[in-house]
Amino acid sequence: MAERSFAEEVEDLKLGAGEIFRGEGILAVTKALLQSGVSYVGGYQGAPISHLMDVLSDAQDILASLGVHFEASASEASAAAMLAASVNYPLRGAVTWKSTVGTNVASDALANVSSSGVKGGALIIVGEDYGEGSSIMQERSHAFAMKSQMWLLDPRPNLESIVAMVERGFELSEASNTPVMLELRIRACHVYGSFVAKDNVRPVFGLKDAMEHPERDYSRVVLPPSNFVHEVEKIDKRWPAAVDYVRKHRLNEFLGAATGDVGVIVQGGLYNTLNRALELAGLSDAFGDAKIPIYCLNVTYPLIDDEIKGFCLDKKAVLLVEEGQPEYLEQAVNAILRKGDIQAKVVGKDVLPRAGEYTSGVLLAGVRKFIENHAPALAQKGEPAAPAVDDAAKGVAAIVPARPAGFCTGCPERPVFSAMKLVEKEIGKFHVSCDIGCHLFSILPPFDIGNTTMGYGLGWAGASAFGADAGQRTVAVMGDGGFWHNGLTSGVGNAVFNKSNNVLVIIDNGYSAATGGQDILSSRAANKSKSTNNPIAAAVRGVGVKWVQEVHTYDIGKMKRALKDAMTTTLKGPKVIIAQAECMLNRQRREKPLRDKAIREGKRVVRARYGVDPDTCTGDHSCIRLSGCPSLTIKDNPDPLRDDPVAYVNNDCVGCGVCGENAHAAVLCPSFYRAELVYNPSSLDKAAAGLRAAIISFFQRGADKRRQRYSFGDAA
Amino acid sequence: MSARPIKIAVMALGGQGGGVLAEWIVKAGERAGYIAQSTSVPGVAQRTGATIYYVELFPKKAADEKGAAPVLALMPAPGDVDIVIAAEQMEAGRALARGFLSACSTLIASTHRIFAIGEKVAMGDGRQDAAAIEEATSRAAGRRLWFDMERVSEESGAALSAVMFGALAASGATPIPRAAFEETIRAGGRGVDRNLKGFAAGFDAAASGVVEAAPASSSPRSSSVTPSPSVAPLVARVDALPEMVRTMALLGVKKVVDFQDPAYGALYLDRLQRVRQLDQAAGGEARSYRLTKEVAKYLALAMAYDDVIRVADLKTRSSRFARFREDVRAVDGQIVQVWEFMHPRIEEACDLLPAPLSNAIMKSGAAKKIFGAVLGRGRRVPTTSLTGFLLLNTLASMRGLRRAGGRYGREQARIDDWLRRIESVLARDYALACEIAGLQRLIKGYGETHERGLASYGKILAALDLIASAPAPAATLARLKDCALKDEHGAALDAALAKLGVKAAA
Repeated sequence: MAERSFAEEVEDLKLGAGEIFRGEGILAVTKALLQSGVSYVGGYQGAPISHLMDVLSDAQDILASLGVHFEASASEASAAAMLAASVNYPLRGAVTWKSTVGTNVASDALANVSSSGVKGGALIIVGEDYGEGSSIMQERSHAFAMKSQMWLLDPRPNLESIVAMVERGFELSEASNTPVMLELRIRACHVYGSFVAKDNVRPVFGLKDAMEHPERDYSRVVLPPSNFVHEVEKIDKRWPAAVDYVRKHRLNEFLGAATGDVGVIVQGGLYNTLNRALELAGLSDAFGDAKIPIYCLNVTYPLIDDEIKGFCLDKKAVLLVEEGQPEYLEQAVNAILRKGDIQAKVVGKDVLPRAGEYTSGVLLAGVRKFIENHAPALAQKGEPAAPAVDDAAKGVAAIVPARPAGFCTGCPERPVFSAMKLVEKEIGKFHVSCDIGCHLFSILPPFDIGNTTMGYGLGWAGASAFGADAGQRTVAVMGDGGFWHNGLTSGVGNAVFNKSNNVLVIIDNGYSAATGGQDILSSRAANKSKSTNNPIAAAVRGVGVKWVQEVHTYDIGKMKRALKDAMTTTLKGPKVIIAQAECMLNRQRREKPLRDKAIREGKRVVRARYGVDPDTCTGDHSCIRLSGCPSLTIKDNPDPLRDDPVAYVNNDCVGCGVCGENAHAAVLCPSFYRAELVYNPSSLDKAAAGLRAAIISFFQRGADKRRQRYSFGDAA
Repeated sequence: MSARPIKIAVMALGGQGGGVLAEWIVKAGERAGYIAQSTSVPGVAQRTGATIYYVELFPKKAADEKGAAPVLALMPAPGDVDIVIAAEQMEAGRALARGFLSACSTLIASTHRIFAIGEKVAMGDGRQDAAAIEEATSRAAGRRLWFDMERVSEESGAALSAVMFGALAASGATPIPRAAFEETIRAGGRGVDRNLKGFAAGFDAAASGVVEAAPASSSPRSSSVTPSPSVAPLVARVDALPEMVRTMALLGVKKVVDFQDPAYGALYLDRLQRVRQLDQAAGGEARSYRLTKEVAKYLALAMAYDDVIRVADLKTRSSRFARFREDVRAVDGQIVQVWEFMHPRIEEACDLLPAPLSNAIMKSGAAKKIFGAVLGRGRRVPTTSLTGFLLLNTLASMRGLRRAGGRYGREQARIDDWLRRIESVLARDYALACEIAGLQRLIKGYGETHERGLASYGKILAALDLIASAPAPAATLARLKDCALKDEHGAALDAALAKLGVKAAA
């Protein structure tokens, strides 16, 4: 089950016409899909669109009542291929993923469906993971739309606009027989707002109808000669149809002043930030009544030449607000104006940064520069072109520590990397190829393990060049999520086939943990709508790996031995270690309420946690460098003679024991202790504890007395 | 000017409940007649990273009058944030660094610290300067509510987010009435009583302009207990020292006596007094006896070294039993069992034996092997059980045999060597003598940590002649000491030494 339950949000999916939907942007999209009469939805989870998948996963009943088929696809490629259903049949379908990474994976199927063209509306909802909060390479989904000639929607980031664009998107797709991408930036996915709901629509022509009355049309298959026909069709038919639809239904908006010497062309998704920047520059207000004309592109591909020409005709200069690079829109607008012989100057990346997120501060600086250069009469008096960065802020910036993401308290992946560090001490350094998932945090402090990450599931493939006969093997890391996404074939199958001698560690924590704890094939939990409990070891052996070891991660000693074995065994062939232990976030979510309940009910419960003795801790922090657990932290040294802070286990400790195991395995220091707290003790517990306490305190009193003889009183 | 939204930024770490707080603010705003919008960029930041939640509240009345919806922003603009709520002190600093604090803004910040990984992994003290953040934010923000909300949260048993919500209500920075805040918590339906309690605690703390309670003094002088006769002469000797040295010397002698006995305390004071005389002769009085003070501190740490007896002693004390109960939050009378993680090595065992014997064992491969097979693996010693306790208690009671052990002799020889080196440069270079005294800081811990520190210490002392002939000897030595604390492999220290002209050891 996913990290977050959407039981309440699911209820919102049932809202009818006229009712107010309140919630997150990505959930509004879910509702809009149902309002649009969608027949099937697929996708692959990942920030910022995970919640779309999670809420649909929790909404099986509603989906069933509407005849909607939902799949948590094996990968973005699987999801994209789903759109094939809309090629022959008037079925509306939507797929979703994190972009550009997911679009990369999906692009083979996307290119094919774009070539075939669609009969039913096909919508691809991409969460544009760009700028602050992003964890991937900084690229634009825009390029994918251009290369396959799919249309790209970039709605204004308010729920009304987003929902309208989902509905219009299906119509546009059908009007132009082309799949349509809807791009939502991170903040838009998570924006809380409201819109007036409509009734959900059950498709007139359903999946059942298609399956029972199959149709085929050879002209839709991407093979000669159709593939050549498709290319011509894209230009001659689908493109003009799309332009007509966009223009006729005014998907792009003309906002702000009706006329002016200068204007702004902006991607819809950046409109709100632009308006705030204009407000701060004295050129707009909270209602978007800007003093200069704005052409808002809710459709960023294709561009509507006539609209652009019309907007620029009477202007001396237009500011083009286009986030990311290359600046496809700026190039296209320049070409349109040049061909139309229109002299308005296009100002874009010359006053705005070429790369990076367009934040309010960045846009404000750009707007001020643009106004200063091209409409000085509109400039605020005495305002600096850019907000001055205070000296105090600069000074503080040097102090505020970076907070890289890291493993959670009690994470079962941490001991794997502790063991790796310990093995490295024994057999020397080795090359580590990483994957995508929580385990990638190994690259960050305190572990600093890992050289590259080539994509989800590609951890082992990323080490496949190292096939030389060498004195040291390479280690690759892959999560269970990546393994099922494609790692089984691209990594394990590839290593078997090519007779690799190297080592793979698969982190089997039972979930696609980094994306929100969704179930996968090898999850241990029972799942009503999915098949789980398919072990990774069986799959790995099934493709031909002979050396497979399953190790419980928290046993650092065993993990260390398994790694060392894999790295040094004379046995030929690929070695796979499956490091098993349930994601601690999910485990706590499941177990803590049960434990609390048992304690309340008077049942005997033993809870473990760990601690550090400050008087034997000398403040070297080796333990932290080997672990990095958030609950293992530091505090002032209680001994005034010592300079360095001591290690300290705070109350978040979940008792996983990795810190103690590390102290053992690394021969660190005797400061760690494990404490077991007994709740609702039995009478035997009580009697034994009483006896122990009596004898121990007898000795302790003796020792106290001895120390009393040396007492300094309150002299110190 | 037309209506503008109230802009609120919540700076929090993953898992601190920043999302819950933002959601509450939205709901409270809606109750009080605002159109609310919030966003965040959670993603991987949810896993311990720093996250900003951003809320805008726009008066619904103004929108109704205009007959249009406001265009609300999705991220805070520098210089244009009305309220910044920081769930941790450095995050308040981050708000300032990002330009969110201005004369028009109210800062509501919890002063507790959650140390970043970079601060925690340092081999010495890597903590950032919290005082600088306190000072800078106080100047930058128009208004500031500044108190330890984490403590209020712990005392009230509620989540930090409830306390921060209470502080926001008390700040008066929004026109939202208290009832709307409380109704929001009630309507949430989860942990209502606890959250209301936390809200009230946060509200009261903020409304009363709470001032940090003075940190509890480590040595309260409430009653007057005289020193026991066996240590009274030591106290008298400390009292004869210059005033500025006394506190440190008293702490030092106390530690040393606690480690061994009053006679060992007397040895400590003998050594210290000699340093004090030389210090005085070198003009130490004018320098507030800096050298004597440094030696008083580090001599005590050097003499009270960590051996098996010491660890067993500290682990079995009644005061330690009370402390671990408190640390793990055991309630009165609750049964708590404790296991120590111990990994005795042959070196530690030999420390207790007379030097000739331990040397012989350390040279014998067979003895090492046997020890390794029988004892040399990690053990969990159950200190709260009779077997574990009695084992450790027996070890602790071997204090009387300590002086006969090889380790004792080695430590005393090293201390004497250290003091001699201090003395040898004192007349020439007072500051350098102080730095040599401070070099003891490198030697700490057990096992590998101890060996590493000792090795760095040795490397630096071996280069003392070169250091003394460098342009600024004291500063050079201080830099080398910093380098020794930079990495575990000694790479920074070796590089710095090489620069100085020391040839790398083969």
